[in-house]
Amino acid sequence: MLAATCAATASFADPITFTDQGGRTVTLAEPADRIASIPIPVASTIIAIDGGTSKLVGMNPTAKSAIVEGVMGTMFPEAKEIPSDITAPNFIPNIEELAATNPDLVIQWADYGSDMVDPITNAGLNVALISYGTEDKTRYYQEMVAKALGKPERAAEINGWRDAVAKELAEKANAIPVEARPKVLYLGRALSSLTASGNKGNYNGWQIELVGGVNASGDVEGNGTTISPEQIAEWDPDVILLNSFEAELGVDRIYNDPILSLTKAAQDRKVYKMPLGGYRWDPPSQESPLSWMWLANLLHPEIFSYDLRGEMKTAYKSLYGYDLSDDEIDGILWLGMQADAANYAQFQAK
Amino acid sequence: MYDVAAGPARRGLGPLRLGVFGVLVLTLLLSMLFAIGAGRFSVSVPRIIEILLAAAIDPDVAQAQMDERIVLLVRLPRVLLAALSGAALAVGGTALQGVFRNPLVSPQVLGISQGAAFGGALALLFGYAGVVLLGMSFVFGLSALVLVGTLARIDGRTEVITVILSGMVIGALFGALVSIIQFVADPNTSLPAIVYWLMGSFSTATWARLGLAIPGMTIGLLVIFLLRYRLNLLALEDSEARSLGVNPDRERWYVFIAISLMTGTSVAVAGIVGWIGLVVPHAARILVGEDHRVLIPAAALIGAAYLTFIDTLARTLTAAEIPLGVLTALIGAPVFGYLLRRYFKETQRA
Amino acid sequence: MIGLENAAVRFGSRTLFRNITFDVPVGRSLAILGPNGRGKTTLLRSVLGFQPLAEGRRHAPPVTGYVPQHGMSQAKLSGLDVVIMGRAVRLGLFGQPSAEDREAAQSALVQVGACSLAELRYDRMSGGQRQMVLIARALATGSQALVFDEPTSALDLGNQARTLALLDGLRMRREFAIIFTTHDPNHALAAADDVLMMMPGGGEMHGPVAEMIEPDKLSELYGVRMGWVEVNGPTGEVRRAILPSFAGIQAA
Repeated sequence: MLAATCAATASFADPITFTDQGGRTVTLAEPADRIASIPIPVASTIIAIDGGTSKLVGMNPTAKSAIVEGVMGTMFPEAKEIPSDITAPNFIPNIEELAATNPDLVIQWADYGSDMVDPITNAGLNVALISYGTEDKTRYYQEMVAKALGKPERAAEINGWRDAVAKELAEKANAIPVEARPKVLYLGRALSSLTASGNKGNYNGWQIELVGGVNASGDVEGNGTTISPEQIAEWDPDVILLNSFEAELGVDRIYNDPILSLTKAAQDRKVYKMPLGGYRWDPPSQESPLSWMWLANLLHPEIFSYDLRGEMKTAYKSLYGYDLSDDEIDGILWLGMQADAANYAQFQAK
Repeated sequence: MYDVAAGPARRGLGPLRLGVFGVLVLTLLLSMLFAIGAGRFSVSVPRIIEILLAAAIDPDVAQAQMDERIVLLVRLPRVLLAALSGAALAVGGTALQGVFRNPLVSPQVLGISQGAAFGGALALLFGYAGVVLLGMSFVFGLSALVLVGTLARIDGRTEVITVILSGMVIGALFGALVSIIQFVADPNTSLPAIVYWLMGSFSTATWARLGLAIPGMTIGLLVIFLLRYRLNLLALEDSEARSLGVNPDRERWYVFIAISLMTGTSVAVAGIVGWIGLVVPHAARILVGEDHRVLIPAAALIGAAYLTFIDTLARTLTAAEIPLGVLTALIGAPVFGYLLRRYFKETQRA
Repeated sequence: MIGLENAAVRFGSRTLFRNITFDVPVGRSLAILGPNGRGKTTLLRSVLGFQPLAEGRRHAPPVTGYVPQHGMSQAKLSGLDVVIMGRAVRLGLFGQPSAEDREAAQSALVQVGACSLAELRYDRMSGGQRQMVLIARALATGSQALVFDEPTSALDLGNQARTLALLDGLRMRREFAIIFTTHDPNHALAAADDVLMMMPGGGEMHGPVAEMIEPDKLSELYGVRMGWVEVNGPTGEVRRAILPSFAGIQAA
């Protein structure tokens, strides 16, 4: 069980120092009171770690859409008012808007080169860089953000939970023989173009492997690469996961497509849209362990049988101090749309 | 009495010419068969023939199996669309070069493609597709041509160099307008659609799209084909042409409208595919000479075979699809460089 | 058949010519003489309908057999193909030349004595060869009006002789109304019935060759003294030529 702490920690005397994921040393005289985040997932992470929205002063437009579309907007309605024009969706910062939010710290990606970073430091703002792709990186930057907020113990709780769940899953999953691992295709985009990612630096791929599956698009070069329906037909995945970034994307996209509807996944009705909770469950976030449990239950119902609804209620209480209702859980898991998918009945409310 | 230094000319449809056309038709058929057989999803040649025959005998029977669907719903319309577009673009370039009396022009050089791209992007911005997109591509492609003609007309004469420079100006203008559209487009809905479409690809080819493209392209091809002898006359000086009973201003307009129709349709269904209208006419000239009566049909056949082949490469070389414009430029640019040198050498000699 | 009535052409404030009236009927040949820059080409273009008139009218058949000075030097077509273009007026917008058109073009080439040029490439022909082809093309249009823009200017003497013989031959057939411009009054003597002289400073003179080609008028036209000279022709007959005073060398 996670315990929530509300009291601000007393770190008045010592300045906060850490190395960010760009190899830079970041120093804060005192815990940041105003943080802006250009990367998408960190906005909700900040809310989770701090237990509220007061310290988040700016976020990515795509993070805003997740809040508006998902349950975060219900839990913290004021989050919808937080500025999101500090950056374009492609992470190019708008320095003037960013400066106008008067941040103590700006979070930015390390992965896109110094052109994304220099303008911010040039404006005299303090920057911490994070990196995407692996579980370790995720834990590190969650620690980093918690430190910056002066609440390192929150990171310990959140990461401790992740560690425990991951170990549990890996133990059982490692015992699964190769033939029994289903081929899972995650489609990063599916509305107009179809995209998938290979095995390098692909968090979704890692997630799939963790719970005893195989990444169907493993031999694709790069991430977010456009693929064709014919290629998908050739892979013939056992399971298709749809992204939660495209709000208008539903499982019908697969079932109505003349080619995709003939894949094994479609024939077995194993097409699932990734849930959208306090944040989207595709990329790494503070809710990742829930995502793993969801996928594990779906891929190997004979091995994993987490009480997902119970776990979600517990997690939301400790992450956000919020009591999740059954209706809200139904919404997060898209039960309205995919209730009749294979193995999905287990997620219904009892 | 006269020196007979002049060399013999090829003319008419002698046996050599017929042989050349036979080879061109055969090349086109082979290119199309190769295209239908190639793809990530492997289908054996006998099976392809079986599927094609079955469809030819009874086109209405529903295709139940994956390989049938891949061949008949994915590859066949795509191959036909690529061939038709290749013919349209090549013929458009040939006619343009004839009317402007210069082998260095093409729909892209004169800004017609960019105008059509603007029209289409505008349609996508407002959420229209299909016939509206097609119509707007045509209208704005034509207006680009009108603007070029108007800009280049000084004292009632149009020098070729002025035409080319005007084409660059108008092309740049419409290119900038397209960028503005991308800038204001909604990054979650219309923008991805616009960007994807502009890249130039036949991956969205379906029978419906082919049906959309057929009227514009076939009408354009038919008009130019009927005007193929007239193009010889339009290549003359205006006064010379008038003395032969030609109305150059009016007849040029028929050619322009036909070219805009073909270019607009091509851009509408597949984005901007460059270098076909510039390079294929030259290849055709090398094979059959300058007389448009044989040059137009030859260009159509070569263009169709060429673009079909390039499109096949684009979708089979790697798991991800290479944008068509990249391949046509990689091949087209060096070929064009070589042709440019030959052209200047010859004009220096003359 | 073809000509102008009270025609004037102006470029801005400059009047090139005004009040020009002439008509060339079928069976007559008109040579237009004048110093450089006087407007011979503009007058020709007016007759052909390429130059709008500030005043007056033009009359001409719907299609004229026009022989430009330089035609389409870039075209990589055969001589026969160039001549076939003369048939375009019968073809209409979507027409393609038929065997009948090929034959007509062939016969036009025969008329100018250039059958050997049918298969040669036009852009590789010499100036003289090209002109033969263009003349054949003008004949192929079937028009009774033939208009030549400086047919002899760019040719060497040998080809000039050939062209003049052809022009005269066409005149003697009495089937055409012919107009041609030239620098050399002797060419008018060789191949024209009438002469139109565009005098310097405005004003035109018009009349039969015998009246117009004489030293005083020509001296006024060219600003140099002209005089008659006698030469022996190819078959021994005595011929008269008119030459400028600088021709030749002081006799001993």
